[in-house]
Amino acid sequence: MADLPLAGIRVLDFTWAWAGPFCTMQLAHLGAEVIRVESAGRPCVTRAIPPFADDIAGPNRAGYFNQYNQGKKSIMLDLSKPEAIDIACQLVKHADVVVNNFAAGVMDKLGLGYNKLRGIKADIIMSEMSGYGQTGPFKAFVGYGPPASAAAGMFFGTGYRGGGAGEIGVSYPDPNAGIFGAFAIVAALTHRALTGEGQYIDQSQLETAVVLMPEGLLEYEMNQREPERNGNRDAVMAPHECYKAAGDDEKWVSIAVGSEPEWRALCQVIGQPALAGDPRFKTAALRKQNEDALDEIITAWTSTRDRWETTRALQAAGVAAFPAMSNRDLAEDAHLNERGYLVRLEHPEVGQRAHAGIPWTMSGTPCAVRSPAPLRGADTEEVLKRLLGITADQVEQLRKTGVLA
Amino acid sequence: MYRMWLWPRGVARILASRKDCLGWGESANSTTRPLRPQIYSEACLAVENHEQSPFKAIKIVECGAGISAAYGAKMLADLGAEVIKVEPPGGDLSRRRGPFPGHKADPEKSGIFIYLNANKRGVVADLTKPEGRELLGKLLADADVLIHNVAPRDRAAHGLDSTALCAAYPKLIVTAISIFGDTGPYANWRGYELTASNAGGWAFLSPGASPSPELPPLKCFGSQSDFQGGVHAAMLTLAAYLHRLKSGKGQAIDVSEQECIAAMLEMNFMHWTYAKRETSRLGTRLIGPWFIADCADGQIFVVTVEEHQWKALVDLMGNPEWAAEDLFKDRLLRGQNQDALKALMGEWFSTQKVQELYRNAQGRRIPMAPVNTMRDLYDSEHLAERQFFAALEQPGVGTLRLPGRPTQYGRTPWSLRRPAPRLGEHGAEVFCTELGVAPDRFNDLRKAGLA
Repeated sequence: MADLPLAGIRVLDFTWAWAGPFCTMQLAHLGAEVIRVESAGRPCVTRAIPPFADDIAGPNRAGYFNQYNQGKKSIMLDLSKPEAIDIACQLVKHADVVVNNFAAGVMDKLGLGYNKLRGIKADIIMSEMSGYGQTGPFKAFVGYGPPASAAAGMFFGTGYRGGGAGEIGVSYPDPNAGIFGAFAIVAALTHRALTGEGQYIDQSQLETAVVLMPEGLLEYEMNQREPERNGNRDAVMAPHECYKAAGDDEKWVSIAVGSEPEWRALCQVIGQPALAGDPRFKTAALRKQNEDALDEIITAWTSTRDRWETTRALQAAGVAAFPAMSNRDLAEDAHLNERGYLVRLEHPEVGQRAHAGIPWTMSGTPCAVRSPAPLRGADTEEVLKRLLGITADQVEQLRKTGVLA
Repeated sequence: MYRMWLWPRGVARILASRKDCLGWGESANSTTRPLRPQIYSEACLAVENHEQSPFKAIKIVECGAGISAAYGAKMLADLGAEVIKVEPPGGDLSRRRGPFPGHKADPEKSGIFIYLNANKRGVVADLTKPEGRELLGKLLADADVLIHNVAPRDRAAHGLDSTALCAAYPKLIVTAISIFGDTGPYANWRGYELTASNAGGWAFLSPGASPSPELPPLKCFGSQSDFQGGVHAAMLTLAAYLHRLKSGKGQAIDVSEQECIAAMLEMNFMHWTYAKRETSRLGTRLIGPWFIADCADGQIFVVTVEEHQWKALVDLMGNPEWAAEDLFKDRLLRGQNQDALKALMGEWFSTQKVQELYRNAQGRRIPMAPVNTMRDLYDSEHLAERQFFAALEQPGVGTLRLPGRPTQYGRTPWSLRRPAPRLGEHGAEVFCTELGVAPDRFNDLRKAGLA
């Protein structure tokens, strides 16, 4: 751990739900000690909804929580009590970073605003990740992930050809805000390492999503036209689609061709080398123009074949193909397993189950998930004793008065 | 922040039998108390002064094509890092992708290229030739970071093998992005955005609750997997830089877009590993209302999660009689009877104007949001007040309003200070003036099409 990039960095983590915990999980992956402050009165929403291990409900059995809180510690405070706020403030003295994803103004209301925190520790880095940011006319608006996809223009741009605006399948602005938040915190740590200064970070979930819409925004900016919904098709490449594979409604295989050699290879693999010389498909522009006919030809080939057979044949010829993967496909995938991506640490209540792990490797600072997600409040006593020197008797007393849980 | 998206069959039953586990309670988001204006003035107003940026000290070389590496380098360039972009003689792929003014392709006018590469200087080097790799060597000897997205199977031929680079430049941070990562059975497979979106398990879930099994899994708008590769790469590059400040050592970083996406599937992955349930784009919504509604002048996405939000919405709709029906008594029933709900709610929604409804609903803590168009975003008074869009004067194109700061930093300046480079614009400046390549030699390379 000493060799990890964020070794020695301590994060006081007031986040909840998805965006915030996804952010602090990255910091844990990078070696920071992340102490999640859980509310005694209000369990994190992710502890309360399915899936539960083997469908037996319980706050420590929730897959949603256990996925996005890997490698963290958990302490439980009742933040409605002044004594709990006092403990939080004492912990800030020992922290480098304080993070939350409450609505704008909530930390101030709790007595944990930036002005207070920097009085306690001058070089503290405080990150506030809210739906709309801490300023502006919509700052008090409620910012959930799916409405944020709509607000950011993602629904408007997504959808089947000729159809209406589409939803996008997952609450993408949440983890996206999380990864941008983690970047910003690592940037602030770098800033601090170079200058000695801490700082305040105001991040809007909406804005972190809108920065990922440049193709649509610039079409409007340059041509005053809204982007067209085009299913899986690309502006330039063809073929570029998710094609029906043999089997039920869930079996599909994506194929994308980005160069002439790839196009010729595709024609070979599907047993129609003459297609490469077909006047309808001779150039990328022509293939794009005659894409319906092209998709029909490819579908006729893919729809009678197993998606993996198609994938292997095309990849062997240098063509980008891959099945649409389900959760089960991912868990059983040979590649992800061989790369050590899937993490199966022993958890006291749910045993060993696969979780999505770390999507990178670092040769000099090998990151690893160091512990499974914490049981609710599992580290309260250990953390308070170690950092604040609180005795067992004091802990007992604080528990009795409901300050700790 | 919200519920799961695709509720596989069976979950509703489990939830219904375990009401105690539905106790999401009052969220911190649900406060109705008016919020004090809270601007940490010296903190949050953009500090646009590039001269003050400590990131100026970081020198980055970027190669590859398209979005992922370019976006990762952009995030660091926007904070002040000095980025030199290396393009092949034909120019970066994104120069050919647009959008273009008047839809006329022009490699110096591509909107996506300009967005990704403002703040950078640009040089040309043909890395498939020894002469080009020699130029790359000069750049790397002077750099702290290399970010690229050349596929693992092509790296050796471009002089970009991570192990060899780390041996040759022990202080260099080599950040490589690919679709499948650089180890494992698929390391040498080909992939694009569409491939990553399918391989990571996102497309399989999209658009969600689809009534049309004959329609394929659907990729999200744009280049989200590539962007994620870029954001991860930027974060990891700085993490490695922090480590280098302590240890003096560089290292190689490998980012897999497939894995980035597979880590972002909400609770879908765990439905399999925790409960042996496969989620899909054909699943059903557990709770309701949850749909895109047509209004008089556009669309709005309607969702209520907490009971008080639903009650507030019923009140906003003027307490229609049907809302008291048992069919809609709780969010699970509203989910089950979503079709009826949608039809009944639709009548009222069709009389509403989007922006008015948005404000009225949010004023009552109902988490609705419009299905914004690009124009809506440019016109947003909220984004305007936060100075989100940033103007860039791009020679030959004019002034463009680009999406700006993803994050507002109190101290670290974010700036847009230099237009995107013309192809090879800074070759002589970088190679001859700064790195000591003889001008004659450089001209020879240029004539040969290698620089």
